[in-house]
Amino acid sequence: MEYIIADAVVEVIEKRGIKVDDVKAVIEGAGDDKITNGSRFIAKKEIGDVTVYADYTVDGDKCTINAGYCHKMKVLDIVLVGDDTEWTYVKNGAVVKAGHTNLTYLGATRSGPSLVEPTSGASWFEEYLAAGALTTAEGLFQQKRA
Amino acid sequence: MTEKIGETGALCPECLKTIKAEKIVEDDDVYIVKTCPDHGTWKVKIWSGAEQYKYLYEFAAVPKTPEKYAIPQMKVCPEDCGLCDKHLQHSCLNVVEVTNRCNLNCPICFATANGCGYDFHPDIETIKGMFQTVVDYVKSPRCVQISGGEPTIRDDLPEIVKLAKEMGIEHIEVNTNAVRIANDMEYLKALKEAGVDDFYFQFDGTDDEIYMQTRGKPMFEIKERAIKNCSEVGIGITLVVTVSPEINLNHVGEIIKFAASKVPTVKGVHFQPIAHFGRYPQEPTDENRVLLPQLASEIEKQTKGMLKADNFIPTSCSNVHCDLKSLSIVLPDGSLFPLTTMALGPPTKTDNVADKTRTEVSQLWKYIEDTMDGEDASRDTDDNSWKTFVSRAKTHYLTVSAMAFQDVWTGETERWERCCIHVVTLDGKLIPFCLFNTTAKDGTTMYRRKTFCR
Repeated sequence: MEYIIADAVVEVIEKRGIKVDDVKAVIEGAGDDKITNGSRFIAKKEIGDVTVYADYTVDGDKCTINAGYCHKMKVLDIVLVGDDTEWTYVKNGAVVKAGHTNLTYLGATRSGPSLVEPTSGASWFEEYLAAGALTTAEGLFQQKRA
Repeated sequence: MTEKIGETGALCPECLKTIKAEKIVEDDDVYIVKTCPDHGTWKVKIWSGAEQYKYLYEFAAVPKTPEKYAIPQMKVCPEDCGLCDKHLQHSCLNVVEVTNRCNLNCPICFATANGCGYDFHPDIETIKGMFQTVVDYVKSPRCVQISGGEPTIRDDLPEIVKLAKEMGIEHIEVNTNAVRIANDMEYLKALKEAGVDDFYFQFDGTDDEIYMQTRGKPMFEIKERAIKNCSEVGIGITLVVTVSPEINLNHVGEIIKFAASKVPTVKGVHFQPIAHFGRYPQEPTDENRVLLPQLASEIEKQTKGMLKADNFIPTSCSNVHCDLKSLSIVLPDGSLFPLTTMALGPPTKTDNVADKTRTEVSQLWKYIEDTMDGEDASRDTDDNSWKTFVSRAKTHYLTVSAMAFQDVWTGETERWERCCIHVVTLDGKLIPFCLFNTTAKDGTTMYRRKTFCR
């Protein structure tokens, strides 16, 4: 597969402390374990202590990486299931819903808005949250732990 | 067994002569031992925990020397202070006293306001001169604490604050007993409009029995009313607590709990273990002092471990044995989530810590804002979410800090020469705060009286 990735996207991925190769590994290892809205896909994989996400578009044998991001928090249970979204879970064909899922980090558990598929119990976090509130909270907790 | 760990300069409590001193360790306590050829020997405990005392030197920042010196060639430290060419640290905070009159008559007073035998209440032109000294000697960002006496007895204080801002002083805090702030909303609004950034707010406890001893009258209701008024007007407050082993050391946990309940108006609690300035016919003993490690342990004990002694680190701006600080997020249940810890070890970048200290809290905001940039808040409606936690951190934080002021018994050159809190004199000098207020045992002042009694 040929990867297409803009310099600006590479820069943001590296700034987040992950490698482009990690993002490619997520894509290549996803199989059916990913969600899609028709043209875009979101897949995730735990690499070490970090959950790495790939947001990408496939066109033939070309794969455009739109974003790569991560969080260190561990995903727990879904705590709220809301309306249908445009996303579908490829593995079982179920419609993905808007929801809230608990995440835990260094002994604290709180929720975050997520994309959820209740029958499988799977959750995905979008870039805005992972790179925003989750990263900030992780930073504050690391400072506390240090 | 006695271990000598250093040499320093000190003052004779009787004659204020500069004398040599040694620092020694005995039974894990650190002492200053000094001898005046005319008046004898003193041995004063200055720290408990010798290993920590030594380790803290690793937290010392690379000092940032003053821009200019009023005393180009120092002869004897601290006798010709001003600052001199041997002073190691620039000003982080300049204290400008605008009166020695006060609307209280406290038994405890650094400034020996009221009844000190002279009146100091300068006109605007004189105050302008003191601000000019700050502008001339201190590089931006300039922070001034307007102090006294009680600055708010001056009806022209808003005018003074406005003048300071116009002259290029970026940050103004007013040191106050809060009596007028509690009673005069129009005056408070005028101060806010003039540019007061925050109040350095005398606060000795949550119990009027404490105020009866420290201030001579019940004052807790006045303090609460003043905090409410500041909340309405939007001016932040640091609660400043003079800590005495006999009066309120056993209330420090309650004070922190109270402060946490008043965020975001209350930004911090600053503990000042009592220093012995003024006339002391009876010399204070080690039992009359509260040392910083003892204070930190009391805080841990009284907050039931919510804030641990290990959460306190030196600011690394002044001498590392002068102060401690902590920064915590206040959670919705009122508990503290500390972000500072000794376990982090000494700062890796110790240069320019002075500027860093001044902007630390705003850096916390900036960190949050930078990492949360562009986030869609509308998706997150859960009160128990990570977003709520992070957003709260931006406003609901509390600094708990402490500074051990030096008196004639505990003072030493090693600490004076790294001081970054300087009082502005009428003749264009900057004097380290503790030295400025140091008095001999009979009440003779080292610098204060000769500066303001003219």
